[in-house]
Amino acid sequence: MKSAWSDAALVLAALLTLLFLVYPVVVVFTGSVQSSATLFSGTAFSFTFDNYGRIFESGFARFLSNSLFICLTAVVCATALSVAAAYAFSRRPRFPLRRLLLGAVLAGQLFPWIVLVTPLFILFARLGLTNSYGGIIFCYTAIAIPFSLYMLLGYLESIPRELDEAAAIDGCSALGVLWRVVLPLMIPGVVATATYAFLLCWTEFLFALAFLTRAGLKTLPLGLAGFFGEDTVDWGAVMAGSAITTLPALLLFLPLQSRLAEGLTAGAVKQ
Amino acid sequence: MTAAAFATPRRVRTDSLVTWLLIAPAMLVLAGFYLYPTGYAAWISLTDLSFLHLRQGGDFIGLENYRSVLGSAAFWRVMWRTAFWLTAVSVAVRIVLGLALALLIESATIRRYRLRTVLRLALLVPWATPHIVAVFIWRWLLDPQVGTINKALVATGVLQQPHAFLADTSTVWAAIITIIVWNSLPIATVSFIAALQSVPRDLQEAAALDGAGRIAVFRNVTLPHIMPTVAIISMLLVFWTFNNFVYVWLTTGAGPGRYTDVLATDVYMRGFVDFQLGASATIGMIMAATLALFGVIYTRLLARRALAERL
Repeated sequence: MKSAWSDAALVLAALLTLLFLVYPVVVVFTGSVQSSATLFSGTAFSFTFDNYGRIFESGFARFLSNSLFICLTAVVCATALSVAAAYAFSRRPRFPLRRLLLGAVLAGQLFPWIVLVTPLFILFARLGLTNSYGGIIFCYTAIAIPFSLYMLLGYLESIPRELDEAAAIDGCSALGVLWRVVLPLMIPGVVATATYAFLLCWTEFLFALAFLTRAGLKTLPLGLAGFFGEDTVDWGAVMAGSAITTLPALLLFLPLQSRLAEGLTAGAVKQ
Repeated sequence: MTAAAFATPRRVRTDSLVTWLLIAPAMLVLAGFYLYPTGYAAWISLTDLSFLHLRQGGDFIGLENYRSVLGSAAFWRVMWRTAFWLTAVSVAVRIVLGLALALLIESATIRRYRLRTVLRLALLVPWATPHIVAVFIWRWLLDPQVGTINKALVATGVLQQPHAFLADTSTVWAAIITIIVWNSLPIATVSFIAALQSVPRDLQEAAALDGAGRIAVFRNVTLPHIMPTVAIISMLLVFWTFNNFVYVWLTTGAGPGRYTDVLATDVYMRGFVDFQLGASATIGMIMAATLALFGVIYTRLLARRALAERL
């Protein structure tokens, strides 16, 4: 009898947890396809794509394409630089400054970004990089490198060194080994790392807020924040915009998560 | 036999050159983004640089900014809020709830009722939700006019009338912490589940055979085994939360008034709203120094003890 009660309590706790975890996101997706009138009354559900139509009329497509362009460019840059550096760190364990540099990269991961905003703003202002794709792509490349480097380092350690050595003995140069032997083997790792880097940039808010003030350059998160007016909030637009921002994150995150859980305690992933 | 055994001096030299060429681009980007701006912020913090006089530059005023910031009661209130409400409370809640949830998910009952996979999948939903979206969803849920939570509380008679959780100083921190917990509880839970799965079954069974109760087994076998994970996750959460700008800024904009102003929002507002770049950089430097100090003390004391216990 006692165990039936404790079973019931545990199952109830599990169901409440389930509700707490999932309900908020369900609200976003159902709210995004609901007319404003029923959204507020909460009684009848009437299906509509009005919210999506409205945000795209008010320039949401521009935010979307800006985000895609900026994030994809930054991810390509960050991944390329990280593959090169991770390869050197992994295959040349005795080169000087290795420990210092890797430690510094890890520290960069935990550094408060907010401290960088003011000095970077002044530097960007002098170089003409505020309100430019170049400036924000530089920022996003830099925020993606530390964990990309660490994740890739993990993958590289799982690729046997004997393979590189065999290729080197056969006369392959260091770059040749990376390009022809190692890179093809680490493609799954590169894809996972790049996906995570993409999500990090896709949802970044602070640097975009500080460095992109012109409407034509704004990214998705900024566009989303723009739906919150001084006194009124267009909740239908917020829901539709949030759904568009969250959907790729959900779809890309699912296949990634088991890899993330592994790297997490190693400090390899930024939240 | 390694490739190095075949290397001639010349081969070694080109090898180290290639190594540097591979590492340099990434390191240059990082130096340009982290190192140089940090050094520059340290310099700005010693000047009275203002946005309005960016071209002329500021005058060197030594430690005057630090004296006035550290001497102001308002700054210490901001520091307290950041350290206590934003960081300590929210991290403690996530560690305790994360551990409880991990134990729940791994419990025999939940397995028996086939809820384990569903719960583990559900954990991914808040985790995958971007911070900004998490904040916006909860602003909707907590909204006094349209929010589901107010409607539910009024309908069940808990509240007489809708409550503006984010505009009331007595509930605003609870609301912000709820948002943070919702968004990043999964990261703690998933790590704890992994740690729980690595606890040797035979140790637990042996303790149980020796007459230890479930609580005693947990305290003496399970908990010591997962402590290193708890220690590392706690530290990561402290760093991420202490630094975080988005949660407070998008939830309340540091309001009502400046009641939820934390270090990150203070740095932003002093710089981009009040235009005092010198003071803004000063608070940023104090923030970085506080975290660095915490990191050193924490890793020396707690993490080392936790690791030593495990070995």
